[in-house]
Amino acid sequence: MKLLLPYFKKNFGQITLGIVCMLIVDGVQLTIPAMVKQAVDMLASDPHNSLALLKLSLIIILLGILMTALRYWWRILLMGSARNVEKGIRKQLFAHILTLDQDYYDKIKTGDIMAHATSDINHIRMAFGFGLIALTDALLLGSATIGIMLYLNVKLTLYALIPMPMLIIITRFLGKKMHSFHGTAQESFSSLTEIVRESFFGIRIIKVFNFDGIIIRKVQQFSKDYFNKNLKRAYLAAIIKPFMFFVFNLSTGIILFYGGYLVMEKALTPGELVAFIQYLSILAWPMIAFGWVTNLVQRGLASLKRVNALLDARPDVCNSLNAVQLNMNQGMTQDGNQDKHRDKHQSMIEFNNVDFSYNRQDYVLKKITLEIKNGTSAGITGPPGSGKTSFLGLIIRLYNCTKGHIYIDMNDMNDIDLASLRDNIAYAPQESFLFSGTIRENIIMGKTVSQNRLDKILKACMLEKTISAMPKGVDTIVGERGVTLSGGQKQRIALARTLIQKKPIIILDDPVSQMDTDTASEVIKNINILKNDATLIIVSHRIAALTPCDKIYILNNGKIEDAGTHENLIKQSLFYKNAYTVQLFEDKNVS
Amino acid sequence: MSPETELEEKEIKLTDFKLIKGIWPFIKPFFWMLCVSVSLVFLLTFLELLSPILIKKAIDGFILPVSDTKQVMFFGFLINSFKLFGIVFLGIITLAFIIDFIQAMFMEYTGQKIILNLRERLFEHMVYLPVSFYDQNTSGRLVSRVAGDVENMNEMFTNILVFIFKDIVFMISILSIMFYINFKLALYLFILVPLIFLSIFFFSKISRNVFRTLRQKISEINHSFSESITGIAILQTTSSTDIFLKRFKKLNFEHFKAGLLQIRIFAIFMPFVGFLGTLSVGIIIYVGGNEVGDGKITIGILVAFLTYMKMFFRPVRELSEKFNLLQNALASGERIISILNTETFKTSNSKNQTQLYDIKKVEFQNISFAYNKGEEVLKDISFAVTKGRSLGIVGQTGSGKTSIINLLSGFYQQDSGRILINNNNYDKYSIENIRDKTALVMQDPILFSGSIRENITPSYLKDDVVLKKALKDANCDFLFNSHPGLDTMIFEQGKPLSSGEKQLVCIARAFAFNPDLIIFDEATSYLDSESEQKVHKAMKKLMKGRLSIIIAHRLSTVRNCDNLIFIKNGTIRESGSHEELVKLKGEYYHLLKKESRLVTD
Repeated sequence: MKLLLPYFKKNFGQITLGIVCMLIVDGVQLTIPAMVKQAVDMLASDPHNSLALLKLSLIIILLGILMTALRYWWRILLMGSARNVEKGIRKQLFAHILTLDQDYYDKIKTGDIMAHATSDINHIRMAFGFGLIALTDALLLGSATIGIMLYLNVKLTLYALIPMPMLIIITRFLGKKMHSFHGTAQESFSSLTEIVRESFFGIRIIKVFNFDGIIIRKVQQFSKDYFNKNLKRAYLAAIIKPFMFFVFNLSTGIILFYGGYLVMEKALTPGELVAFIQYLSILAWPMIAFGWVTNLVQRGLASLKRVNALLDARPDVCNSLNAVQLNMNQGMTQDGNQDKHRDKHQSMIEFNNVDFSYNRQDYVLKKITLEIKNGTSAGITGPPGSGKTSFLGLIIRLYNCTKGHIYIDMNDMNDIDLASLRDNIAYAPQESFLFSGTIRENIIMGKTVSQNRLDKILKACMLEKTISAMPKGVDTIVGERGVTLSGGQKQRIALARTLIQKKPIIILDDPVSQMDTDTASEVIKNINILKNDATLIIVSHRIAALTPCDKIYILNNGKIEDAGTHENLIKQSLFYKNAYTVQLFEDKNVS
Repeated sequence: MSPETELEEKEIKLTDFKLIKGIWPFIKPFFWMLCVSVSLVFLLTFLELLSPILIKKAIDGFILPVSDTKQVMFFGFLINSFKLFGIVFLGIITLAFIIDFIQAMFMEYTGQKIILNLRERLFEHMVYLPVSFYDQNTSGRLVSRVAGDVENMNEMFTNILVFIFKDIVFMISILSIMFYINFKLALYLFILVPLIFLSIFFFSKISRNVFRTLRQKISEINHSFSESITGIAILQTTSSTDIFLKRFKKLNFEHFKAGLLQIRIFAIFMPFVGFLGTLSVGIIIYVGGNEVGDGKITIGILVAFLTYMKMFFRPVRELSEKFNLLQNALASGERIISILNTETFKTSNSKNQTQLYDIKKVEFQNISFAYNKGEEVLKDISFAVTKGRSLGIVGQTGSGKTSIINLLSGFYQQDSGRILINNNNYDKYSIENIRDKTALVMQDPILFSGSIRENITPSYLKDDVVLKKALKDANCDFLFNSHPGLDTMIFEQGKPLSSGEKQLVCIARAFAFNPDLIIFDEATSYLDSESEQKVHKAMKKLMKGRLSIIIAHRLSTVRNCDNLIFIKNGTIRESGSHEELVKLKGEYYHLLKKESRLVTD
């Protein structure tokens, strides 16, 4: 509820006005039978008064027009505010997921969030749009009718209402069940969404390995699970209406027989009995609506709970109370050169006994201690799973380290304002991802960048020729639905995105893995030129990328196994020497 | 057109006829269930209508008896005590309750069953759509079809179909009764009928348009979420979240606007139908009243007319409410049917296809290919690989290497030239048959959530011993010593494995598949030299008696291949063995020298 309250407050005027419109319509609606009664009575006494008749029918038509106008407005006002709630919550959800950290994304599935954003929010809108309208209407009409009945005959009314507590008990019981059934059904829907998403994402592998049968069976299994859970929910929703009707019929029965008995005993006039039965029939709609609304509202509440849980998720990676701004940019002159007074030997990145684990069980980094000095370059290499990517993830603070301390520019990582940290670090993840959009959009990412700079970076990333060969140049659409790019092309665009902004720290995770040797060496050369006075950390398996580094670290099984310059490591490290020999192999063959 | 609108999915429109034709096959198997549901609804309506009659009988028979004896005839049975009548009444409402209950359950079951079937068929169909379809539609958008759109059609098979049928029958019967009672008065009202249907027709048309926009925007919203989540690390580290939020807000607002338009349309339509009801009351009062004055009809008839009019407009109102839901469901239906109408690729098994037992030879003859007309990525490519031999494809990024694989795996079809397998045309065999003998390791390691074991061998290799041996042969077993082994659970995007580890799992998958044709497309890019060496040693062993095609940037990866082709700008520039190409001192040699120099520098 706390999620909805602000929307109620914001739209309070609109909602009140809408309800007033609805009330007037209800009131006018009740006067029409009175008009009809008047007409019939008049016809009985004076059948030839055509003018009065015309007057009456015109009044009825005018009232009809009034109702039409008011109905229009309550629909616009009330349903419009429900759409407002939908819009607001969806925006909130989107804004929220952008703030969550990697750790959270490792646990939750994309399909799950998608289900929250569409299906659940839709349920919330229905509950608080139609649901609230019907509920208000039903409650008002219902209590008014019961009031009139009480006025007519208290005892008979109370008898007629005997089955009602049954109704309340049933709706409460079913409501609770519905809440939990809806929750499980939505969970199942989330899983289904995810498996479908994953299948479409990996469609090539599914096709080429003939996994189609397996994946279809798997989706069938998930659909079936959703079917079962959804059916339970649907059954429950379907039971309510028959119950309502039954209770209503029971009340009719009581009025008929107890009232009939009273008439026979002359305690009640026949006219009163007929009126009672008429009023009870008016009560039918509120009762049905009530049952229907119970279903809608319960669904809405269960979905609201799910959305709330997602919105309540707080990232572990967040600013501390007195976070400091990193001020490295101040030391930079216009053309990206750092002020001379900034000490070349000052520590830029420092790891002090850092342990890291994704699940607090298996440690992927153990007792890492190192210092990367300002303006230097560090290379990192090692076998798969040795912790290279995790190491980089800690510097850009995609994750918090589990133990130990990390210092950036002599500030404790935990004290640095997250946004300012990321403003100072350029980072290229290992697997290149392009958003659907133009190449330009993918590189500049909404920032303002001069054409000069863009051209310079494109040239540095060896993209000039590739892009000029495309029909629309940098405005060619790429990404999921864009032109087919090779892995190397994608990688170079992602790299351009990283390098476009001048930042004091550059972190590159395997930046040339998909490029041919020729291109890769050019790109590496350019990176080292562009780097200027920035601090560079590069993970790679290519000796060519590591050679220019001031210091190279070899990670193995989460520990720094060796460190040194290229020349040192050829002598010291078996792993490095091995890699070097393998990559050198051709040389002997050529010469 | 701005790139943004170009990027968004188009709205989908179908004629009603095409739509019904498309949906019918999914209803057909369950049609009898829908019929049962409708019959139950009729039975229920009958019981409901009994209630006013019972009340009348109770009043006339017992409460204010018209005759001296307190008794009523009910369906030929004589009920002579008020108590007994009470029991009959209780019996009938209980029966109504039971039938109502059964009907509701049955209808839900039918609806859900149709939906389940539709979802399964739709997904199955989509799996067999060509890869080009997936390249043109983002996964986020496609998901909303299988998930949201199918869900949206649910109402159609439960509430809508059954009740529309009931309502229409109900309206026709009331109209007939009114004509029977007084033809002239009924004729006046009948003027309103075309107005009702015209307005339903008109509004359904414009509301469908709005629902189309709504569904399309929801699919865009889905895409936004999907893309932002996948690229979250980039968004956060490039501080671009604001731009994406802004973009999303715009999209969300467009959805909101369409939602408001939908509300406006129904805010006009629904009260309008209500107005027609009130108008009819006015007409009856005036016209009917004058008739009464002229002594042509009785007040009783007038009152009856008013009552029936009320009964007539109740289903009209319900029908329009149902139409709202129906238009929404149909807008989703269009999106589903349009996918089902997309032809699957090469599923048409031509009669003269033969069984492929093993691949002995693969040959490309003068292949040319373009993803978009006019932009050829492959030009006149010819090569052949035979059993036991290996082919290496080298060339710069974007030279067309992966496109060759796309053709060979049947993801795309060439524009000209022929692909031969065992000297027969490619389509002599079924694509599934060829793929059964082919294993592909792609540039991007794609894994599915589940255990490593499931990712390597989905079903056919349950035997642990066999699997372990396959992994050992692939030199991939070392990987699983550092993790909880084969039962390590993999989550979305291959977590918790690193990219290199993911690649190893993909390679293991290819080896365990025991294929005739192995295709490695830059399959070891994330591996360090040592691991790569191990994989290559394993490959050497495994290549015996098979065909292999290897794409690589690092020349060391392919130098051991029996034959190499060097590709530039989509054409083959040089071909031959490593030694031959070195001797040729052409572009390959050039590249090789550069690469070696880079290492030694």
